[in-house]
Amino acid sequence: MAQSKPQEPAAPAAGITPPSSDEYGDVTAKDVGERAPSSASAGASSDEYGDVATEDGASAEPREVIADPIKPFNIAMYHFNDKLYFWAWKPVATGYKYVLPREIRGLFSSFYANLKAPIRIVNNLLQGEPGYAGKELASFLINSTIGVGGLRNCAEECFGLRGRYADFGQTLGKYGVGFGFYLVLPFVGPSSVRDGFGFLVDWTMRPQTYIGDEFFSYESVGLYTHEQINSTSFHLGEYEAFKKASVDPYVSMRDIFIQYRKNLIENR
Amino acid sequence: MRKALVGLMIFVISMAPFHAFGGAALDTVTTNVNSVLDVLRDPKLKGESGKKAKEQKIEAAADKLFDYVELSKRTLGLNWNKFSMDQRKEFVELFKALLRNTYIDRITGYTDQKVSFVKEMPLSETTIEVQSVVVSGNGRTPINYRVIKKENNWKVYDVVIEGVSLVNNYRTQFREILGNNPPQALIDTLRKRAGK
Repeated sequence: MAQSKPQEPAAPAAGITPPSSDEYGDVTAKDVGERAPSSASAGASSDEYGDVATEDGASAEPREVIADPIKPFNIAMYHFNDKLYFWAWKPVATGYKYVLPREIRGLFSSFYANLKAPIRIVNNLLQGEPGYAGKELASFLINSTIGVGGLRNCAEECFGLRGRYADFGQTLGKYGVGFGFYLVLPFVGPSSVRDGFGFLVDWTMRPQTYIGDEFFSYESVGLYTHEQINSTSFHLGEYEAFKKASVDPYVSMRDIFIQYRKNLIENR
Repeated sequence: MRKALVGLMIFVISMAPFHAFGGAALDTVTTNVNSVLDVLRDPKLKGESGKKAKEQKIEAAADKLFDYVELSKRTLGLNWNKFSMDQRKEFVELFKALLRNTYIDRITGYTDQKVSFVKEMPLSETTIEVQSVVVSGNGRTPINYRVIKKENNWKVYDVVIEGVSLVNNYRTQFREILGNNPPQALIDTLRKRAGK
């Protein structure tokens, strides 16, 4: 069945076609948890259109779409990061994992997570979560002292204190700021105008930022690189699995980014 | 005393359907996911020799867990209607092959971690979200299974990991392809993937 213009949703698709009892039969927008196509209103009465939209709203996730006006740039950056992973992060992290036992790498993970406590404290406060800001502050104090400079997450392991992740892009999102548009950052990965800006603001709250003379000094970028290698050593194979699972990795990653950030803003 | 007992009986009987409805989805998903994990963790199926048997067992367990037709419909959305009957059937088979690899990849990584099923949340009259958490050394990953009731059986039609829905993710990818191409192009793409 060749469709001359497949991008135009078939007009009678929503609400009019009765659902078939055959499991391979046609579907309605409601069946598949999709928004009724707007062109359906032309063929359907306003009542029918309204009904589908209401039921759809109850059963389905409203689809978040993100503008991608600089797609050629983003695709170039996507390929840059892809090559960076296979040519740099992966071999380096594999060797690193081979040399350093899991326990030592775990200490580094805790160390870097602890250094990011100021980001979580400030953003929890900005998000109206003073309780979690307090927990994060207490964790930071405990881990920096008893946890020997953050090498152990003693706050959680010894005292059962569990904080709450928070970043500035998320804070802006909770204030109602939209994504802006999709932005793939070199070295950093998928982001958006809002979250990229958030990343910069959060960068100012990292103590490592101030060990050098400049905002992006060799020292702080060096530490960031080590943090990334250390983190990658725990996640080797995941990016490969992601690529294997996707039909269009660029579109898939963009969608994962949107869904993940949206969930972080709306449900956490 | 007798009156109280009769009252209690009536109460229990009247509540029974709710329990049957409420717990069934959680139980079914817990049982079916655990049977997949059991196969993955089976020490007898380690190594190359056990690989074939392992794959077959996982496939059987996954078939009980997932409703591939429902998954396909929700992933294609209204584009489903543009597929001919033969194309629909072929799509389901090809998508099933892709998903099986994906899901197995995702959960084989979780074999050493603890999976706990937390609770279930009704989404609609026929659908429920069963929420689980995978706890590992690196933290907690929430994995939610969305299930639909069909012929008294609960089957998974979507998996949501850290807020990312599998169905939504594939739908975005497929929509992009189907925006400029006929259904056959998507089927050819999937067939090429499966052939690898």
